[in-house]
Amino acid sequence: MNRQRLTVVLSQAQGKDPARRALEESITAALLMEPDLDVSIVPYLYDLGPEHTGRLFLESIQGDMVVLAWMYPRAAFWLLDRDGVKGHYGVNQITPPAEKDEDDEDGEPETPKGIGAVDVPERWIYCLDLRDHNNYEVYVREVRRIAAECRERREAQRQTGAPGQPTLVQLGLLDRQEEAAKPQPQFTAEQLLQQPTRRWYPVIDYSRCTNCLECLDFCLFGVYGVDKLDRIFVENQDNCKRGCPACSRVCPEHAIMFPDYKTPAIAGAPVGNISGLKIDLSKLFGGDDALKIAAQERDRELIADGRQAVGMTVGIPKRQADKPKGPKDDLDKLMDALDKLDI
Amino acid sequence: MAEDRTFLMGKFPAVLPGKLRYARNHMWCCPSQDGRARFGFTSYAIRLMQDVYFLDWQVSPGDRVELLQQIGHIETSKAISDLFAPLAGTIVAFNLELLNDPSGINVDGYGAGWLFDMACDSASLWSVEEYYQFLSENWEKTQRLIKGKINIED
Repeated sequence: MNRQRLTVVLSQAQGKDPARRALEESITAALLMEPDLDVSIVPYLYDLGPEHTGRLFLESIQGDMVVLAWMYPRAAFWLLDRDGVKGHYGVNQITPPAEKDEDDEDGEPETPKGIGAVDVPERWIYCLDLRDHNNYEVYVREVRRIAAECRERREAQRQTGAPGQPTLVQLGLLDRQEEAAKPQPQFTAEQLLQQPTRRWYPVIDYSRCTNCLECLDFCLFGVYGVDKLDRIFVENQDNCKRGCPACSRVCPEHAIMFPDYKTPAIAGAPVGNISGLKIDLSKLFGGDDALKIAAQERDRELIADGRQAVGMTVGIPKRQADKPKGPKDDLDKLMDALDKLDI
Repeated sequence: MAEDRTFLMGKFPAVLPGKLRYARNHMWCCPSQDGRARFGFTSYAIRLMQDVYFLDWQVSPGDRVELLQQIGHIETSKAISDLFAPLAGTIVAFNLELLNDPSGINVDGYGAGWLFDMACDSASLWSVEEYYQFLSENWEKTQRLIKGKINIED
């Protein structure tokens, strides 16, 4: 594998759904016929623990990559980022048929106000959601398009001498030396496909996260921590309580995803205020009490652990405490959140 | 029996039948004699959401639910939303027709487009007048919320 080729990683679905397996197999078979692609299969991305060979493999990939997985692209991308597989977010052109909305005249692109990722290498990671289509050809076409896009980008960089490219590249001495310098670890298919156990933990979207640390205050199970730069991160993933998405409800920026949660907004769907595709009316329909729901969910887990329920007394964001005079109603709170978004 | 009210959302008249009771999360409630009540979306809620594409419930008939517990999810042409229990009680039945074709909500929101039946005490819910007041007081803010997102005027 070298930096001139595009690495395609297909992450399998959990379980043994034959329809899903069939789609995975058709895509893999078709992509193996394509030139300039390295195709590998790993188990369900979210379940790969730090020791899993699939993780080591992902970490060893150096150039641009495409990840096909049964989850929202945003979830897959930030999941990889947390695992140290970093890059720039490659925008794919696969849109689910139902979401093509012509009359969305929402012109102004929203500038991300999150703290962003750190140490991002000059490479692009494209995540495709295998739930979008059941026709393998759609994915094969998109991978071809991405391969061409990456080739063009490399060409352009080579000509402008973009940062991150060793000057050797321009002299045409590259590949062999690079490969010799960094031997690519070899993994067998059996190692890669060893079935991991199911995991459950939050994934932070740093393009949204403002590092307000409300999740750190809220979670009483030690899932969150801060790194050397005082940035929030999911420190102890496996401390998280299976099925509990409470911290995601507490996050004022909707930056916390649980890729396996049923509700699309929590699983990382490209909807809601920030993407501007569809508006999230949950707050209008009773979800203004998201904090209450989150506290209940947390209490359930505390009790299951033999601890005391704490209700709304611990780690509930201060935006609730400094209520001005009269009690705020749902819409007041909603408007506060929206004002902050500067729509 | 209270009179029907019509709340004007821009030019769109949202009709609010006087015989129903109303929950804060924009569901109507029609209590029956046996301690059960039927719930559905008000025309106000439906107008905000517009065409319903997908409806999903996360609890089963027979399940006990708490007030504002999340019970489902909806996706429409303009919006997504989690759905929450309007009251504490026990879900008796969901409108199964809607799971196949949720557009029934748009076609007949106060009738065939009902959402679920629940065994509950609906005494705490609002009258049509109280709901109308609630809508009036919050309409300004709601408009700001949906500005640029939902074209309410057409």
